[in-house]
Formats: sequence, C-alpha cells, structure tokens
Amino acid sequence: MDNRPSRHLHVRIRSSRCEPLVQRRLSIREIGGVRVRIGLLTEGGYPYVSGDARLWCDRLVRGLGQHEFDVYALSRSERQEARGWVELPPQVNRVRTAPLWTADDDIAPGAEARFRYGRRARRRFAECFGELASAVCDSAPGTPSALADRFSSGLYGLAELAGDEGGLVGALRSEAAVRALESACRAPGALRAARTARVPDLLAVADRLERALRPLSLDWYGDDCLGAVDLCHATSGGPAALPGLLAEHFCGVPLLVTEYGVQLRAHYLATGDEALSAPARALLTSFHGRLAAEVYDRATVITPGNTHARRWQERCGAERAKLRTVYPGMEASRFAEVGEREDPGDPDTLLWVGRIEPAKDLISLLHAFAEVRKEEPKALLRIVGAPAEGPEAAAYLAHCKALAAQLFPDEAQGAHAVGDNPVSFEEIGTPGAPELQDAYAAGSVVVLSSVIEGFPISLVEAMFCGRATVSTDVGAVVEVIGGTGLVVPPRNPRALADACVALLRDAGRRERLGAAARARALELFTVEQNIEAFRGIYLEIVSRCPVRREALDDAGEPVPFGNPAEARMPGRWAGAAGGGDTGAPSWAQEADEPQQLKGAGV
Amino acid sequence: MSTERQIDAPRAPGSPGGWDARSQELLADAALVREPAAWRGAASGAGAGPKAARRGGADPVKALMHRHRELCERAVDPLEIAAGLEAHGVTDRTAARFRHRDVFALAEEMYARVPRDEEERAVPVALPAPSAPEVPAARALIALLPGAACGLAVAGLELSEGRARLAVGIGGALAVAVALLVTLRHGPLRSAHRALPATRAWTCLLVAYALFGDGLLRAAVSAGPGGLPAPSTAAALGLALAVAPAAWCVRLFAVRAQARLSLSRGLTEFTASVRPLLLGVLALYLCALAALLVGAAALSGTAVGAGAGALGALLLLSRLLRTYGFTRAPALMLGFAGAVEAASLACGFAGRLPGCAWLAAPVEGAVRAWGPGVVPLVACGAAAGVLLLHSLRVLSRASAHAGGAS
Repeated sequence: MDNRPSRHLHVRIRSSRCEPLVQRRLSIREIGGVRVRIGLLTEGGYPYVSGDARLWCDRLVRGLGQHEFDVYALSRSERQEARGWVELPPQVNRVRTAPLWTADDDIAPGAEARFRYGRRARRRFAECFGELASAVCDSAPGTPSALADRFSSGLYGLAELAGDEGGLVGALRSEAAVRALESACRAPGALRAARTARVPDLLAVADRLERALRPLSLDWYGDDCLGAVDLCHATSGGPAALPGLLAEHFCGVPLLVTEYGVQLRAHYLATGDEALSAPARALLTSFHGRLAAEVYDRATVITPGNTHARRWQERCGAERAKLRTVYPGMEASRFAEVGEREDPGDPDTLLWVGRIEPAKDLISLLHAFAEVRKEEPKALLRIVGAPAEGPEAAAYLAHCKALAAQLFPDEAQGAHAVGDNPVSFEEIGTPGAPELQDAYAAGSVVVLSSVIEGFPISLVEAMFCGRATVSTDVGAVVEVIGGTGLVVPPRNPRALADACVALLRDAGRRERLGAAARARALELFTVEQNIEAFRGIYLEIVSRCPVRREALDDAGEPVPFGNPAEARMPGRWAGAAGGGDTGAPSWAQEADEPQQLKGAGV
Repeated sequence: MSTERQIDAPRAPGSPGGWDARSQELLADAALVREPAAWRGAASGAGAGPKAARRGGADPVKALMHRHRELCERAVDPLEIAAGLEAHGVTDRTAARFRHRDVFALAEEMYARVPRDEEERAVPVALPAPSAPEVPAARALIALLPGAACGLAVAGLELSEGRARLAVGIGGALAVAVALLVTLRHGPLRSAHRALPATRAWTCLLVAYALFGDGLLRAAVSAGPGGLPAPSTAAALGLALAVAPAAWCVRLFAVRAQARLSLSRGLTEFTASVRPLLLGVLALYLCALAALLVGAAALSGTAVGAGAGALGALLLLSRLLRTYGFTRAPALMLGFAGAVEAASLACGFAGRLPGCAWLAAPVEGAVRAWGPGVVPLVACGAAAGVLLLHSLRVLSRASAHAGGAS
C-alpha cells in the first residue's frame, strides 16, 4: 500500500470560477438601504439553463439589485453543465460551480492512488467517519440530541479533514470507510433494517455517501469565498445547504434555507424507484434525515414554500420560531388585463387548464360534467392543455377523449347545422386559445379536479384572472384558495357537479368569488410579495446574526480593537458604534432601522 | 399534543370493552372513508353517526394498508410511508377520516402494523446481479488473436530464408503487437486506468529479455562473438498463447469475486473467501501457462526456461491489479524485475572490459551453475511474489470491487 505520509495527492473537486477581475469590494453603505453580500447556494439550479427553480432565483437576484450576490452552484449532470448558464445581471459578483456528478476519470473504484493520507490523517478520517456512521446507523430512540451532536461533530470533523488534506473523495470510497460503516451497522442499538446489511449494501451506501458529501471537498470555505459573504441563502435543502452549513461552521455566516419542495421528501420518493436494498435505503434515508435535521438546526431562518413543506420541516426537527412561509411568486401582469376586465366570460362555459395526466383525474371531471349537463343543458366544458411527457399521459388523453365522445354526443344548433361536442380539448396556441390568459378569459368557472396536487399553479392563475373556481381538496389547494372558491372532496363527481351548477346559476356569486380570489392572489402570490419577503428576511438575518469578522488593516494584519466592543452587543447599540471604514461590516452601521426588518410571516 | 398522541398512537387493544368501542367507531367510519360526500356532512357535524358502509371492513387502516401494501412492505421508516401516501393523494383531511391527526401519524400506525419478523425477515437478497456484464463469445475469442498471430509468424520464420526471414520476423512482431493491443483494449484485460508511463517501457524490456536475454547472457558469459542471437521462439509463442488464459482467468476472477461479494455478509468473510479464489485462479493460470510453454517448446524444438513462466505470472498479476485501479505497485515491480535483468546483462558485458571482471563474476557463477534462465526466473519470480502478496491484500478488500456493485 502506498499510503506514505509524505505524499499528499491534492484531489479537490474541480471547481470553476468566474468573476470580474476587480478586487473584491467590501460591503458599502448606501443611501437608503443596506448592501448585503449574499451567497446564493444552488444545486442543479440557478445559473444553469436547465436548472430547477431558476426562474425564481433569477427574479430574486434581479429584484434585489441593491444587494450583491455570489452564486455557488452544484451541477447535477454533465448535460446540465454543457447547456450553459442563463444571462446573469450585474449584481451577481461571481459564480463558482462544482459538479456533483461523477467524472469517470476523477473517481474510480479502488483508486488507491487518490487516498494517500498520512497515518495521522487516516486515523482522523476513521474517527470522524466512524462517528458519522454510528450516528447514522444508531436508532437510539431516547437521545436525539446526543445523536445529532455525534452526527455534526463527525460531519464537521470530515470537513476540517478535507480542508487540511485536500479532499475526501478517495477516502470515502476506501476500505476504511466501508469498514466503519460495517462496524456501525453491527453495533448494538443499530437500526433494525441496517443490521442485515451485506457487503454490496455497504458499498452502495459508501458510494452514495461519497456523492452526498462531495461539497465537503470543495475549496469554497476560505475567507475570500463563502467566508466573505454576509449571509448564505440555500435555495433548497440537502446538498445545496451543505456548503451553507460548513460556511456557518467555519466562518459563522448565517444560513437561510428556502425549500419549495422538501428535499428529504423528494429523497424518499426518489429512493423508491432505485434498485437499492432495504438496508442500504435505511442507512441513506437515515443519513439524509440527520442531515436535514442538522440543516434545520443550524439555519437561522427557514422559509418553506407552503404549509405542506412547513409540516415536513417541523416533522424533521425545524423549530417553529425559525419558519416563515414565503409563497412562491407568479407573474401577475400577464393576467392583469383579463382580471380587470368587466367581462365575466361565457356564462355557460366551464374551464379546465393544466397539463393532462392521470393525477388530474379528468375522468371524474367528465362524469361530473355529465351531471352538470342534466341540470344545465347549455353548459360547455373546455379542457385546455397539452398532455404531460410520456406515453402514459398521451394514452390518458386519448382515453379521456374517447370517454367524452361516449358520454356526450355531438350537438348542433338546428337540423341543418354542423354539430359539435360540448366537451372540447384544446392546446395553448390553437385559434381558440392563442395565449394562456385568453383561455382563462373564455370561461366563467375554472374547475380543478386533481386527486394529487402540489402547489396548484393553474388555480393561482385562475385567481389572478378573477375567475370563480371549484377545486378538489388536495395538496395546497385549501391553503391557496382560502375562502375565495368552492372546494369539494377529491374523487367525488357528484359534489363537483353540484358546486359547478351552483356557480353556473349564480352570476353574482361568481363575480364576488372571482374578485375576492383576485384580491387574495395579488396579496399573496405575486413576484413582488416574494421578493419583498426575502428582502425583509435578509435584513432581519444580517441585523440579528451578523458575521463577526476580524478588522484588517491594509497589510492584512488584524487591527486590535478594530471592532468596538459595542459591536458585539445585540440591538441598536451596534448602530451607534460606527465601524467607519475600518472594515466593519455595513450591517453594524445599519442595525438601528428596525422598520425595515419586517418579517414575511404569512 | 400529548393527549392527541395518546389517541393517535397505534396500540393493541387493552381490554375487550375498549376494543369494542373503538372498533365500532372505526366500523362507522368505514363508510366515511368511501363516501366523501357523507364525510362532508360529518366533518361539519360533531360526531360521525353510523352509516351504511358501501365497501370495506371494520378496519379502514387495514384496507388502506392493503391498497398500499407494496409501499408498506418496502418502507424503511414511517416518513417513507408518509411521503408515498402523500404522493398518492392522501392529505391530512384523509388521515382525519382514519382517526389520525395527520398523515405522519397515520403512516406511523401503518409502519408499526406491517408484519415483520424481528430479526431475519427475508431481506430480499440482492440477486447476484448481472454484476459483471455478459460478454459475447466472440469477445472472449479475441484473446486468442495474439497467439494466432505469433503462431503464424513463427511458422513463417521457419519457412523463410535470408532477407525474407527478417521481413517476416518484423511483420510478425508488428502483427503480434497489434493483436495484443486489441486484446488489451477490448477483452477482460482492459483497464479504465491509465498506466504509468514507466509501466509500458519496463514491460517491453521484460518481453524483449524473454526473447533475446538468455542468448545474450550466454554470449556475454562465454565471451563469444557479439551480435543479436536468434529469438527464443518457444518463449514468444508460449507467452502469446498465454494471453488467452490470462484474459479468461481475469474474467473468471471478476465474476466469481462479484458473486462472493453479493453473497457475503461481512467484510472479513468476503476477504477470507476471495483470497483462496485469487490463489486458485492464479494456479489455474500457471498450469495453463506451463502447459503452453512446454507445448511451444516441443513444437519449436527449442528449450524454454522457467523464466518465461515467471514473467507470465508477473504480467498477469500486474494487469490484474491495473484492472482494479492499482497502478503503482505493478509499475514498481515491473521496474524492479526489468532493472535486475538489465543489470545482470550489463554486468555480464562489463566483465569484458579490462579490470572489471569482478563485476561479471557473480553473474557468471550463477549462469555456470544454473544456466542463463536463472536471471529472469529470480527477477520475475521475486517481483511476481511481491505482487501476489500485494494483490492478496488489496484485491481481497470489498472496496476494490465496488465498481461492479454500485
């Protein structure tokens, strides 16, 4: 074995850098506001063209032009990296990216050459990883806090080791790691499912852990990188929040975590599809659960996107005091014209808008419409939307069309006119509905018949358009609609039909509900609301949990008493201290503006 | 919260009376599970009156578990069931119909009620998955190419004379080299890891020594005339033919090691089972190599030393290590063997210089006592022994076989 102590092969994960050549600016005090330097942490997200939630991040960055953003992005696949970035606004100071996917050349199984620590480093690694593994494997029902402590000390120990030795990648795939996992699984009090772990399971777990812990090997935690920001904003939990955790640990940078979909839940749903054995899944889910708990524990503020995410976060150990629900913002201006128009739409037309897939339960809608037709023979149903990707959705659409043709024969005005079906299937862009807002303008009642729904976007759009709605009680529907529309149980065509008939017959009620829905949507679901909420949260965080940095003089030496003692006091005394130009961060000078620090609680 | 928990917590019936009341309630609720319209009324009212159940039995959670039985059996913790239920459209309001505060509590009950044998529920043993990808037979036959090319070249050499003989020799050597490259790129011997540059040079030197070394050394010791001796065709033919068993043995090792990996329960067990496998595979290869060398010697009518056999073993071990990503030890050991051989040749020739006879004395002594074959035997044998010890250590680790497992 070639683990000779004198030869350290420095394998850091490739991390590219893009920043202007100008020297890094210290946070500058500006008239009328605080300039905050925000480290935006993304995973498979923002600067990439094909990233998740890039639209939201883009709006956030553009909307908060008075702040500076450093983007730290982890990419998910080679294809994503190859497709490039979106155009970045000038407030983005730098972008650093690193891959989370495996480059074949970098990491190969059994690549002993990559794991060439000295003896002391090997012992340190075995200790830290053993601690992490035992915390992951331990079922210990009674002592969650001790367990969390072991997990965090193992995690930060590994991070420090990675910083000292230049990378962990080889070590996490070495025999020492597998052995630590095995002994943790065999230890008394281990998870029941993990006790039966076999060697392939251990290897699979070691492989996934290596991938999940890859952010530990990055060189992002220096004083010129994440150490220089005032606040880290992780745009999702899990891997994206891991750099934030380390920045918090190494440099004391406060962490804000935004989760529109809870990462842990996504992990549960994703591992269901993978061909992993039960012990391996048990270990991995335990790891991700502990990681989520650690992220929630260390985060200063957590912003779930809806109540559903909030419940999951609370379940995973987030303190209620840290949670602020910030609803996702949607572009309201395109619907403004339709929403403000007096025209209430065709009074006999029911409208369904969305992507056609089995979870939307159009069958139930068609049956409900059959009931509606018994009461209101003039009623029409327009189904606007394209099938989702995949053959299943296309087959479902065909099935729905066939059912519609069976249930409703074509009808004509008179004996000599050409008839048509009362149910029409259209796509956006056809003459009937050239734009989305035109589709909404055509109907007077918008129906949502889903059995499964996350955050119902089409419902919010209908609310922006001021349309009365009937929706099924799934997902975040009740939370979104409030009292401004009718809600019926899912899979109940009779109830859906009753509600639709009630609205079709009562134009006044439609109008009242529509106006209320539009007012509610404008209050809660606009882009501006979202950005304002984050602006407030940023300022709240930097005033409440400022980064304590040493004041440095021109030569880079620490200035004794560079930060006045008052700066360490909480509250408004900090503002009077006035660090001046000695490098004291700007928040210290601005902390006495509490009126700006409104929370965004909903 | 604590009282709610008490109500929600799934538990066995404490007394028959309590159970009756509870099951009656659930029976009444079974109707609500199936009839959301009725539920609407019930939700607004305070208590749920008994309603005729359309379907379902006394235990609605059991029905739900039956519907999601795959999810329940697979789940490793309650949250996984909760996530799966939500993905199937179960909300807190649905959970309320099962007398639970939220989906998490419902999932906890379902998780607790999944039948499990305490220790050894038939953990679905990961089938000895097609870990090593199936190789078509044609692929396996590629390994015969170098042997075939070398056989043709040797036959050509036998049949030709003079200039033509030289041309045939060079052409044959090129053909063998190309065939060897093809085999190393495409067969089981291929490696994803780039060889250290020294590895290739030392390998070439070792092979060249196997062809010409004995003759050269004999010439050096006997102070005979200079000039390149005739290559040892028997060694060349035997080694080229041995590429095929080498490829098959490496493949055999990979497949059997994967099988043992998927069957073993612990790392020590795996280590203990892989070591004999490695030794067995190596022994098999050595037998095949010996048979091929003897056959080649008989065919060409010349003798072949045991040095060629030692070289074959060394090359096999170094290639085997390289396919698993260990590149440094093979490079070192190939370098060691090559250096010993080159040094003994150099010493032999240095003895001709005036005043340097003492340099050649040990080589001369060894060659006179045991013949020129002793040098490659000792050099390659020692290197192969060290590599064998090294591979017994590193190739018996589970992490070395991780590539196929994950």
